Amino acid sequence: MSQERQTDAAPALFLAEGELAALVDELAAADVEVIGIVEAAAASPAAAAADVLHGRPALEYRVLPPGVTPLLGPGMPRLSLKGFFLPQTEALFGWRQHGADVGIERSAAATRPRVALGVKPCDAAALEIVDHVMNWDYADDPWNERRAATTVFSLACPVEDSSCFCAAVGLAPDTARGADGLLTPVTGGWVVEPTTEKGAAFVAAHAERFGPAAPALVAEGAERRRTAAERVRANLEIDADSVRDWIAGHFDDPELAALGVRCHGCGACAFVCPTCHCFDIVDETEGVGRGTRRRLWDTCQTGKFTVHASGHNPRDDQNARFRQRVNHKFSIYPLRFGEVLCTGCGRCSRECHAGQDLVEILGAIDVAARRPEAAVAAADGGEA
Amino acid sequence: MSTPVTGREPRPTPTIYEPSLMTVVDLVDETVDTRTLRLEFNDEGLRESFAFRAGQFGEYSAFGAGECTFCIASPPTRAGALECTFKTVGKVTAALRELNVGDTMGFRGPYGNWFPVDDWHGKNVLFVAGGIGLAPVRCVIWNVLDRRDEFGDVTIVYGARSVDDLVYKRELEEWAGRADVNMVTTVDPGGETPDWDGRVGFVPTVLGEVAPSAKDAVAVVCGPPIMIKFSFPVLADLGFADDDVFTTLEMRMKCGVGKCGRCNIGPYYVCKDGPVFSATQLKTLPPEY
Repeated sequence: MSQERQTDAAPALFLAEGELAALVDELAAADVEVIGIVEAAAASPAAAAADVLHGRPALEYRVLPPGVTPLLGPGMPRLSLKGFFLPQTEALFGWRQHGADVGIERSAAATRPRVALGVKPCDAAALEIVDHVMNWDYADDPWNERRAATTVFSLACPVEDSSCFCAAVGLAPDTARGADGLLTPVTGGWVVEPTTEKGAAFVAAHAERFGPAAPALVAEGAERRRTAAERVRANLEIDADSVRDWIAGHFDDPELAALGVRCHGCGACAFVCPTCHCFDIVDETEGVGRGTRRRLWDTCQTGKFTVHASGHNPRDDQNARFRQRVNHKFSIYPLRFGEVLCTGCGRCSRECHAGQDLVEILGAIDVAARRPEAAVAAADGGEA
Repeated sequence: MSTPVTGREPRPTPTIYEPSLMTVVDLVDETVDTRTLRLEFNDEGLRESFAFRAGQFGEYSAFGAGECTFCIASPPTRAGALECTFKTVGKVTAALRELNVGDTMGFRGPYGNWFPVDDWHGKNVLFVAGGIGLAPVRCVIWNVLDRRDEFGDVTIVYGARSVDDLVYKRELEEWAGRADVNMVTTVDPGGETPDWDGRVGFVPTVLGEVAPSAKDAVAVVCGPPIMIKFSFPVLADLGFADDDVFTTLEMRMKCGVGKCGRCNIGPYYVCKDGPVFSATQLKTLPPEY
């Protein structure tokens, strides 16, 4: 479900800091749900405690309560935006038993319009990447309904830290992929550039909040974006095509097979990942004769994910499971859908207790893929 | 983080995850722990329109326990109802076993690819199966037998650990009694009973002894991974080309429609690119299976 792009770039607009609260109020008044980044501590004592531990406030995407404006500045929410499209748990349908008969009660479709303001570009881009698997044959209605109901404005990213590597996977800290427009922080507010019809319609519907962007502000924004792009390129540069082919041809490579040696198999990397979309389907009973079938986030990093009824497990050790994660993201998905299943947000590296670092791992694979013999092996269809 | 459900009205149409309701119309205990359910769609329109190809699978729901993946064990040539055969090993299969005639369960499907039966016109067909692996093969056997004059010789080599573990016992007798089927039944050494008049030996060994000709022939193989592994070299020795040998893979699945990521192995989603694979394709799989 790729968003329709406007061919001609519309003139840039400006949202002044002072207009943000009014914009959010206007949306609330129109019964539009606003999603934005907030300090999680405000909502939860546990998050407040974690902030003391980490020495900085934890950020999360939230549906904004009345009167709260989203943070439109630096900072990476711990979880990606994914949960607003593929919730951690969602009801697929309910069922009621009446004697020998069963009745199915459908869940509600996501029809209420939503606007996500100030999304990390890597999180918005993930939506368009995951669209492939959600629609390559059977269409995943719950996902598509939420996509259709949501207008997304990304916020040009200053690049958070050394775990960021969006440029290495073909994106950029100011990409508007998967979004309907881009906000760029400048002095006194944000330069606003809608990139889809949906984005243009949103801006048009709230025209009083937006003014024309002065050329000096547009230039300031462009300079910030250029600097950020330079910074993230310094973190990691790889040849994604060579990496894809090398992984496909080196299934049994000792380096690749040993990647998971430090991995605990906790699955945090998958849960914080904006593109990991694997899920489980379970029945939750509610007393006798009624219940709900739910879909929940799942991860390929646990042994139970693939174990057969017979007890046989195709991926029965952590190395095999970690290799599958790298394989799926950087080889299987690009071979199947034409692009890597990763936006370089760096969350998996930041959250890993064991210190597994995708920047390091991809760098190592890239080096291996550049060795002269790698090209030969890939051409031969690998060593397997 | 919880995301509120933002809609207010139930969806007018089902999502891909909503099963169709079916009623159990018959059940047969194949072995002490293996049962076949015969199912009919509750919806009359679906009963008429439901079509599938030999080798496709479905997701079977026991409401309250969840869903399980089995092949459709009855042939597409016999419309009106479908059958599944399962061994009671976990929560869902235990709940499915609780169902009686008249009870309601759920079905999603048909999913996946199928055996290229239509390409086999005029060919000899060899079936090799072990244990409950006969279930998907049975679908193809009946499909071929229901269109008997389109094919050459039909040979079935089927074995199980013991006489008690043989499934579809009445059909094994029926096939053995047919002049147009060469039926070979075997049990593993030690699994025979005093009155057992079939062969004794592992399926790959017996397959070598029977030595069906590979000339103008295709082979369908299904059973435990170990049986498949040892049957392939025997078939190769008999002269079967890898392109003419087909099997159906078991992988843990949830969605069945290429989304949940579980059955992904090598470049394949078994639920979409399979479950039917040729031996040529199998040899390109990473050595995980």
